[in-house]
Amino acid sequence: METREECAGGFKKETVNKLLQLHFKDDKTRASGDAVLLVAEMLKVFVREAAARGARQAQTEDLTRVEVEHIEKILPQLNSQCFECCPILVMMNL
Amino acid sequence: METEAQRLKAAFHYTAARLCEEVAEDKGICFSRQAIAAVSEITFRQCEIFARDLEMFAKHGKRSTVNVEDVKLLARRSNSLLKHITQKSDELSLNNLEQKEKKKKKSAAKKGRRNSNEHEEPVAIVNEDSNMA
Repeated sequence: METREECAGGFKKETVNKLLQLHFKDDKTRASGDAVLLVAEMLKVFVREAAARGARQAQTEDLTRVEVEHIEKILPQLNSQCFECCPILVMMNL
Repeated sequence: METEAQRLKAAFHYTAARLCEEVAEDKGICFSRQAIAAVSEITFRQCEIFARDLEMFAKHGKRSTVNVEDVKLLARRSNSLLKHITQKSDELSLNNLEQKEKKKKKSAAKKGRRNSNEHEEPVAIVNEDSNMA
């Protein structure tokens, strides 16, 4: 029924809704349609921000290819400046 | 067989990879496959944190449904992010308002001409057939 492309190029509303549902501890918890679209936007910003910072990191090292270590280097920035603290570095087995 | 969670993760990874490619194009740089996978994985884990926090925020507000205000609370730590999300939220509510207005008008119009314009539908079907041929 709803064919509005609110997040063109970004995460699909349905995908984000299911992901949230997957991570909610309580089965009764729901998310409103607009809330889901906003979370999709947050995720899009997060990916772009991580990618852009990784790219900048590689460029300061005079490289034309972003590698995992560049992403690892910018992780602390992602956590402290934009988003909540989270021990991602420890959890990632890369 | 793929589980639902695996399919979701695959869909998520696909979009994350595409967003990375967009950034790569903008910056004139390329990403190794592992770098893209790392960005995707970090974001996936971030999504879990988002979900947990949103659920808590809603619970704190004695609700079982996460609303737009909860998401704004999630974005509070960065001024520019909060501004961006608030702007998006305003756009959405404006959009919803317009959608509602349209529906109102449509249903009112429908009621008005239901009896006089009943031949409209068959005409549309004929058009569709000719397009397919």
